[in-house]
Amino acid sequence: MPLLETENLVKEFGGLVATDDVNLTVEEDERVSIIGPNGAGKSTLINLITRRLDPTSGDIRFKGESIVNLEPHEVVQRGVSKSFQTASIFPDLTVRENAEIAALAAERGAFGFEFLRHRDALTDVHDVARDTLNSVGLLERADTIATDLPYGDKRRLEIGIALASEPDLLLMDEPTAGMSPEETKSTVELIEQVKRDHGLTFVLVEHDMEIVFSISDRIVVLSRGGIIAEGTPDEIRGNEAVQEAYLGGVEI
Amino acid sequence: MSEEDANPNAKDANPSSSEALVGSDLFGRWEQLRGREGTVVGLTAIFVAVFPWLFARAPVVSDFLQGYQSLATLILIWGIFAIGFDLLLGYTGLLSFGHAAFWGGAAYASGIVAKNISGDPIVMVVSGTLFAILLAWLLGFLSLRRGGIYFSILTLAFAQMMYFMAASPLAFLTNGENGLTGVDVGNLFGVIHLEADIPSIGGMLLGTWLYAFVGFIFVAAVAVAYRILNSPYGMVFRAIRENEQRAEFVGLNVWRYKLMAFIISGAFAGIAGSLFTIHGAYVPLQSLFWTESGDIVVMTVLGGAGSMFGPVLGVGVYLYIENIVSTVQALTIPFTDIVLIKDFGFYWHLLLGIVFVAVVWVVPDGLWGIIGRVRTFVSDRMGGER
Repeated sequence: MPLLETENLVKEFGGLVATDDVNLTVEEDERVSIIGPNGAGKSTLINLITRRLDPTSGDIRFKGESIVNLEPHEVVQRGVSKSFQTASIFPDLTVRENAEIAALAAERGAFGFEFLRHRDALTDVHDVARDTLNSVGLLERADTIATDLPYGDKRRLEIGIALASEPDLLLMDEPTAGMSPEETKSTVELIEQVKRDHGLTFVLVEHDMEIVFSISDRIVVLSRGGIIAEGTPDEIRGNEAVQEAYLGGVEI
Repeated sequence: MSEEDANPNAKDANPSSSEALVGSDLFGRWEQLRGREGTVVGLTAIFVAVFPWLFARAPVVSDFLQGYQSLATLILIWGIFAIGFDLLLGYTGLLSFGHAAFWGGAAYASGIVAKNISGDPIVMVVSGTLFAILLAWLLGFLSLRRGGIYFSILTLAFAQMMYFMAASPLAFLTNGENGLTGVDVGNLFGVIHLEADIPSIGGMLLGTWLYAFVGFIFVAAVAVAYRILNSPYGMVFRAIRENEQRAEFVGLNVWRYKLMAFIISGAFAGIAGSLFTIHGAYVPLQSLFWTESGDIVVMTVLGGAGSMFGPVLGVGVYLYIENIVSTVQALTIPFTDIVLIKDFGFYWHLLLGIVFVAVVWVVPDGLWGIIGRVRTFVSDRMGGER
């Protein structure tokens, strides 16, 4: 049984078809990248899976169960976590608290009544937050207010928050967007390391082909909302339809 | 900056300098104690114990302040209201413009209970608070469907609905425009008459049993609010304020946490509203009017939204100007008879407006923010010299 499956997934915005009959499967322990030219519908697809958008038709199944009727937080509780395209963090909280928020949701569920319990007693939450900050290399800055971090570290924290929710499937929406070459390099190292340490299944949306070809097991190519090709990096490299989609627009 | 009060983890951003502070330095020891729950509650209790004496009876100080006992009680009552309101506005980032519904609703509920069932002060507080909690549950359920300005308008609309209900259709219960008169407040534990003075030293400090009763509940309210801020809820509330969408996408049920923030804040308003009835033995229809909702917003922002004690300070300044400054006949230069402004007290609304604008302009984090800045300045100095 695949971990994630979309079946005939369609999303229309008015007359525009942003996601066109997409059948995507992601197996457990697989690293899948979604590529495609601008406006191909990559972010829409991610937003459909995380339930930020309602599909027009079709089904999304996670671990064999349909998730199209769930709230976004319920999808996260099932094990799908997302890191955002921009650094979506809690700016006035400390780095540690940023991780603890996610760890709290992972360890204690979506809601609880513990409003008279001191936070210091939540050792499981503290442990998860500390381990996560350690693995994204921000433990030394745990007491810094998040907004004071440099941009690259904010993006690291963003990935850290996504990891602290202890996902089975991590969706990363352009994790290196807007980064300097050094920051990009260290983020790629971070993703490689997460891949090694946590054995995560992840779906990566990325523009940088170098990154995509180096860390993916499988690549899915989207164009105008539909899948035009999928396969291993080597298969995609020589695929004519892909070349057409990327270069065709320029030639015409 | 004001967050520090409720957030021991946020401190020590610079470990080396805070280590330097610990040791023989008295100031360093104070900085360590400052964040602890026991310290906060203990200091609050000391403040509550000496406040009416300083305000109304102490030599020199009280002559200058011109305070009186009953106003001291009122400040604590509104203080409880403001602490609860700030949990919603300052920490969760939700601006309710209808908290008069819980304040006034609880005031009426406890008054009606006193008239019809029991005038026991504890029964009155419990029933008023329960009413406010149930009402907050209902109104929160309806209002929190929308965010931002729409949420504020919905709360305002529901509160005004309550006001008009109390004014006319429910006049058989509420006594309409005249307000609920003839509320007979019974004795505490059946023996203590609340209006009576406490004998000996307790009386010199606290004054009346009523103040002691309100003061005890105030300290308890501070302890509970401080604990909430240090619980997972405090962190989740601030996360929702900072980035609601992200909070949802880490797997938190944002909607239910917001509803809990609304209910908790309604409960504090309910405790305060019930005490207001006990304090005045009367419920004015005004207590449900939108101006009361506006007052609590102004008090909270004036003192400093998002800090534990700022709103209480805001309450103090507001009620002081409303009740003391407004009675000043002529503003004179101190120790002389030279009149600067005639009928000075008449302009108290204007004065309050000027103070409010000045504070929001100069120190957006409120009057408490000034104290925070002074503290940072002092601690930098003390830390730097070592």
